[in-house]
Amino acid sequence: MKKIAVCYKWVLSDADIRVNEKTRELDMEKCKPQVNDYDRNGLECGVQIKKATGRELVGITCGASVAASAKDALSRGLDAVYYVEDPALAETDKVGSAKVLAAAVKAIDGVDVVICSEGSSDDYAQQTGPRLAALLDMPSVSYVVKVGAGGDAFTLERKLEEGSEVVEVNAPVVITVSPEVGDAPIPGVKDIIGAKKKPANALTLAGIGISPDAVKPRATRVSVLAPATSRRKQVLNPEGVSLDQAAAALVKQLSADGIL
Amino acid sequence: MADYDAIVVGAGLAGSTAAYCMAKAGLSVLVLERGDAAGAKNVTGGRMYAHSLEKIIPGFAEEAPVQRKVVRERISMLTGESCFTIDFGSSRFKDPASASYTVLRAEFDAWLAGKAEEAGCDVVCPAVADDLLRENGKVTGIIAGDDELTGEVVLLADGVNSLLAQKAGLKKELSPHHVAVGAKEVVELSSGVINDRFNLNDGEGLAHLFAGAPSQGLVGGGFLYTNKDSLCVGLVITVSEMAKSAARLPDMLEAFRESSPVKPYLTGGKIIEYSAHLVPEGGINMTPILSADNLLVLGDAAGFCLNLGFTVRGMDYAIGSGALAAETVIEAKEKGDFSNATLGSYKTRLENSFVMQDMNTHRRAPDFIEHTPRMFKEYPELVENILADMFTVSGPSKLMVKKALPRVFKAGLLNLAKDGFRGSRAI
Repeated sequence: MKKIAVCYKWVLSDADIRVNEKTRELDMEKCKPQVNDYDRNGLECGVQIKKATGRELVGITCGASVAASAKDALSRGLDAVYYVEDPALAETDKVGSAKVLAAAVKAIDGVDVVICSEGSSDDYAQQTGPRLAALLDMPSVSYVVKVGAGGDAFTLERKLEEGSEVVEVNAPVVITVSPEVGDAPIPGVKDIIGAKKKPANALTLAGIGISPDAVKPRATRVSVLAPATSRRKQVLNPEGVSLDQAAAALVKQLSADGIL
Repeated sequence: MADYDAIVVGAGLAGSTAAYCMAKAGLSVLVLERGDAAGAKNVTGGRMYAHSLEKIIPGFAEEAPVQRKVVRERISMLTGESCFTIDFGSSRFKDPASASYTVLRAEFDAWLAGKAEEAGCDVVCPAVADDLLRENGKVTGIIAGDDELTGEVVLLADGVNSLLAQKAGLKKELSPHHVAVGAKEVVELSSGVINDRFNLNDGEGLAHLFAGAPSQGLVGGGFLYTNKDSLCVGLVITVSEMAKSAARLPDMLEAFRESSPVKPYLTGGKIIEYSAHLVPEGGINMTPILSADNLLVLGDAAGFCLNLGFTVRGMDYAIGSGALAAETVIEAKEKGDFSNATLGSYKTRLENSFVMQDMNTHRRAPDFIEHTPRMFKEYPELVENILADMFTVSGPSKLMVKKALPRVFKAGLLNLAKDGFRGSRAI
């Protein structure tokens, strides 16, 4: 049976990032892992294509600690999940993860539609989809906001900076989607309970023919810092001057700063 | 055939305890929690008395995310100008059977729900149980969004404002006299600083309650609890009292935090969390109908909470009622009868346990506390005046009794005698 594979990334939620005000370093200690927000739209796109074409819908992910992601991803309409978990993937770069995902796609029988979101909420590098297309020797259609599908033929609407473009393409194809492609519904109770019963398949690097050397990062992150923000905390009535005077001082200051 | 033996609404301490015990006995259990994770919507001051969970999971504190073991108790009476404190530290508090721990619900509830899941429960969050599912009038499960899930029995552990218990006709709408509103801040400080400021060793904690000025004369009080590397500082005020005053709770909390008895503890700390919640304080006067055919009510939803002024308890009752609800359901499963004929024994079990016995012992406490406003204004002032007289030297001295008696007369001997008598029967 032909399959749609949606690649998803298991990222740390950005809602609980704390910034050290002195060093500007990010404290991720309280952040919990979740399915990358953008990939949820990708998964929804997969559900739509499954409905239109009758293909089986599988999810693929990779990382150092991703087994726990399967239950969450499976509650979002997937029939099965394949994951590659290996400590070597903790430090890999986009080249490495694209190689792993491409090898996983090849290892799963019958995948002829691959869906990625445009980027992930942590890095937003926008590389995985196009790299996958190259490695799999499939056409890449990016910035897709609407999918028309029937059999092997796809009509894809792309949102461009100025205007839109419609592309017709036959599977096999790699589609990268923008969030507009479909709102991701919140999984219902039955979806979540049902996810426990669906297959989560572990793949190994060796099993899909990837050597540890192939995922060694060639670009290394040296630091991540929050943007520097300066707050002036300027008090305009330090000696309790009258409201009129303070207001006049404020107007003057705002004009001087080019805000008014 | 129902999807589950039992459906538990709410993964707080009552719900997760019940779920854990039922799953351990081999029942199939579904737990629905409306928060993103168990504990996400829950607030405690907070300190938990360990005895009830200790019986269910002996030695739980070894693995559970507890903050500190409380070895030091303080109670302060504050007026605008003065602070009178009782400070009691004892190694007796270390006995596991009577120990208490400071906890943060976000992590503690998540741990307990995890135990329930390990035991075999399906724990689903976020999931809101919108209504009870009924067939020919009989409760057969719950409705959550577009999904209908069936269970032989539904356990309502959905918190103080249990809408499902109200819909089922088991509970009346909350009375403002029966609930308090609590607001608290979590202030981050290093554990070393906390140890130094409160004279504690690593892992040891302090519980500090405040009466008088913090509630600005209203029925209520302030609290401060030490966590590993943060402090919880907050206020609890009876809801009906808030209506009497123009003061807003957030402003009152800020005034409390900035007041001179509290502020030095918090110096250099950073407020990392703010939360507020309703607290059931009506005691036995707000106990709902506890069981019906295919239904049980537990934890805060049943109003199992007791504020005696010097101890405030809810979590150990929640856990106790959860365990007893589970016992009841296990028996119902064995009998194959989930009607109130069997489930009704839940009430008897509660009455034979510390849960209802405490509610009974202290049945007069909520009324006493609410109708003795002198406890929150005049008496702290009386203590202040006597002590100020005692410690002030500004000229010739007088016999202590000559200083104190006029103060006592001013407060009113009759009032003191009356309140003392009523208090001794309530607290």
